[in-house]
Amino acid sequence: MNQNETKKRLPLRCPACEAPLKVAKMVCDQCGTEVSGVFDLPVLTRLTEEEQRFMLEFVKASGSLKDMAKQMGVSYPTVRNYLDDLIEKLNNMEA
Amino acid sequence: MKTVLAFLKNPFYRVAGYTSLVWGVAGIVVATAIAFVGGVHFHGLLHYGGAPNGAWWCFVVEHLAVWLVPSVLIYLLALFCSRSHVRPVDVLGTVAFAQLPFVLLSLFMALPPMHEIVKIQSLQAADRLLSDTTWLLAVVWLGAVSLLLTIWVLYWMFRAISVACNLKGRNLWLVFIIGIFGGDILCRYLIGLCY
Repeated sequence: MNQNETKKRLPLRCPACEAPLKVAKMVCDQCGTEVSGVFDLPVLTRLTEEEQRFMLEFVKASGSLKDMAKQMGVSYPTVRNYLDDLIEKLNNMEA
Repeated sequence: MKTVLAFLKNPFYRVAGYTSLVWGVAGIVVATAIAFVGGVHFHGLLHYGGAPNGAWWCFVVEHLAVWLVPSVLIYLLALFCSRSHVRPVDVLGTVAFAQLPFVLLSLFMALPPMHEIVKIQSLQAADRLLSDTTWLLAVVWLGAVSLLLTIWVLYWMFRAISVACNLKGRNLWLVFIIGIFGGDILCRYLIGLCY
């Protein structure tokens, strides 16, 4: 990565009023075509960075909570509770 | 240091299941042995002192009841209160691990000043013992340490329920109160049958 290049994080909430942000414009990197409108962010992208990382690790571990617990150095119920809370959060987002 | 403090604050973040069960059962065995040698009886989860039955099996029953009764109660309550799948091994293991300070408690209760106090049968004997300032100070000090150790066990049991059953807020307090205080009453009744 270039030294001047900074890693940008996708902002999820409005910095002024804390409301969830939506996608208003998309650009084709190759030809410059722009698409405008109001689109909801996909559910998974609305999770925090830590939660997204957890989801990735979960998929990579083939959904094995035991392997995840070993990898993260925490107990099995700690991982299971994290996943259960995440499932509840996703259900609330979709509702 | 920070890791040690974090571990003491909530050991179940890192330890649960069979690991906690092994450590917890080892603690129960050691606590039972110390209690037997020191003549310290556990009448319930939160009650300790002397008792008329000094048989070895009585100490074993006491420690098993103090571990198993609250565990079973917590597990059954968690089946209704928790939305997560609760594993019996996590409840049994974390509750046993949470009772590790009972090893120290048994040790403190077996020390001579406390041992004398638990053996007292009459008011006159109590007056005679408490009139000695040195003994009185020792009893107060050991009593305070015992109280702290009991609070430590309760705090870890609270954390154990929180992690093993994935409970928060009102449901956590509900399971904790019924599990601990209901467990104490049930333990006292069951252990009382041994005397």
